Amino acid sequence: MDYLIQIIVSGLTLGSMYALSAVGLSLVWGSFNCLNMAHGSVMALGAYFTLIAVDSIGFPVWVSLPFAMVGGALVGTAVYYLSVHWMLNTRNYETNIIIATFGIGMVMENGLLKIFGGYPYAQPLTVQGVAGLIGNVPVNYRSIVIWVVAAVLMVALGLLLTRTRAGRAIRAVAQNRDGAKLMGVPVARVYVQVLMLASLLAAVSGILISTTLQIVPYMGANPLLKAFIVICLAGLGNILGALYAALLVGLVEASASTLWAPQYGFPVILVVVILALIWRPEGLFGRVMVARQ
Amino acid sequence: MMRRDYILSAVLLVIAVGLPWLDPPRYLLAQGLLLFCWATVVSQWNLVFGIAGIFSLAQIAIFAVGAYSTAMMGRYLEMNLWYAFPIAGVIGVIFSLLIGLGCLRMRGVYVALLTIAVGQVLFVLIMGDGECSPLNPGICMSFTGGPSGMGGFGGFGWREVLGGRHFIIGDYYSMLGLLILAMAFTFWIIHSRMGLAFKALRDNPELASSRGISRFKYQLLVFALSAFFTAEAGAFFAAHFGSVGPGQLSFTLLLFLISMLIVGGMGRPWGPLLGAFLIMGGDEFLKEAGEWRHIGFGVMLLVFMIFLPDGVAGLIDRVWRRLTTRGGAARAGKAAPAE
Repeated sequence: MDYLIQIIVSGLTLGSMYALSAVGLSLVWGSFNCLNMAHGSVMALGAYFTLIAVDSIGFPVWVSLPFAMVGGALVGTAVYYLSVHWMLNTRNYETNIIIATFGIGMVMENGLLKIFGGYPYAQPLTVQGVAGLIGNVPVNYRSIVIWVVAAVLMVALGLLLTRTRAGRAIRAVAQNRDGAKLMGVPVARVYVQVLMLASLLAAVSGILISTTLQIVPYMGANPLLKAFIVICLAGLGNILGALYAALLVGLVEASASTLWAPQYGFPVILVVVILALIWRPEGLFGRVMVARQ
Repeated sequence: MMRRDYILSAVLLVIAVGLPWLDPPRYLLAQGLLLFCWATVVSQWNLVFGIAGIFSLAQIAIFAVGAYSTAMMGRYLEMNLWYAFPIAGVIGVIFSLLIGLGCLRMRGVYVALLTIAVGQVLFVLIMGDGECSPLNPGICMSFTGGPSGMGGFGGFGWREVLGGRHFIIGDYYSMLGLLILAMAFTFWIIHSRMGLAFKALRDNPELASSRGISRFKYQLLVFALSAFFTAEAGAFFAAHFGSVGPGQLSFTLLLFLISMLIVGGMGRPWGPLLGAFLIMGGDEFLKEAGEWRHIGFGVMLLVFMIFLPDGVAGLIDRVWRRLTTRGGAARAGKAAPAE
């Protein structure tokens, strides 16, 4: 019984962190078919932004979160104007953009390495202590904060996408780019907004991840791969599906590392996801296969 | 193969074979050998990615499988590595067949994501492997060697034949032989029925598949066959350095190799060779730059993707075609009134 509770607690924590980054990736893919390989480096940058805000500038700790979110959004804009802006609608765009954003990510990661060095830092924005026990399993305040932050941001994103003008424009572009353009939606502006939004979420995701581990330049690489696996499982571009799939992957990983050994978490996820994709190539939650050429 | 290709291969072959006779510094031979190794890997990657259109990032995983299986056969079975090489190649083929069966039914981008994950999983498994294995008597070493890698499995054996001073020449020619075979294989694939099938699938997918050309079948075939030389390159790499480690699965190596593919020119038979030469040459200049080296690579990838997506080979091709067609058109124009 304790094992089960342990799995659910750590699975939900992992799943919440994956969800924030996977939803952003999925949003970007859905809008302009770009698999953003720089997403992981934006996560790392988000964690470093809080470090800069608190240690270098001396902001109070709670200001560092919005500071990092704004920073993440700006980085997203930069990624757009460095790569997507020039490459959209060119030949082999879908594969070339992966390599181009890979290059950007490499620059950001090694830039961080150059400025901050490879030494791990502790995330200043964190809470300590155990909130209580469920059964015999201790639940940290940190986990609760992660759940709450992820839930709030997911609900906010949901409201943004369904209730606001900008959100409707984003969904219109995701459904039919040319149709949206003909209806007078400023498509290029929507692309920038989407990448800003996704990078903002990635920055928060990076901060949450760094509260459980440490801040290092390459900290985004592993979560990025997990987020990729999540959106493959969900079906590329399916945002709600990405949320469910993230929780599912978090639970699978937590089961494997609790019941077996921590290093088997990732291999087990991969095997499960490949089997799931052989069974349903369009993803677990992909209802319609949208083939874009 | 066109006449241009024959001339080019002859010239390159003379240079590569002749180099050791000029008594160059040892460092140059060692770098040349490494160049052959990377060019072999990238030439097979080019077949998979550039010709067959599979966006696979599993190449370094296959490379590492070749290296590790050679090392294990040498260390645990005490095999002569020359017997281990073909077995390592076959293991690579089987490994890639399994990946292909799992991933190739999906579309391009899914393949990229899943294959990159395969390499990462191997990396995580090797790094986390800390259990002492009974196969290593006397010391506590895990089966894969864990983060510190493994050694002690022998080498090409040229040291015994040529002596300690000149063994590197043997290694050099071994690696060159591998590259020649890999390049010959590349040309053979491009001009075989498989190459034709991919051309047909690219030019008119509907017609090609209605004529019974199965994309999945041919992709799986190329994916598996090209794994042989990739794994072999890993095996030769292990034999030359006498050690293997998880660094062969790192993102850094992936970036290094993909830069060769992009800068050289994807989908063109000579692209990988050109790319390997340019990147390794450029790397020599960036050696002193330290951390700037990786930043430089990142910027280069971005710049090439935006301005020269078909690489230097593509640029040369375009310039060549413009020169020849303009010349041809002018000649045709002059010749016409005379008739």
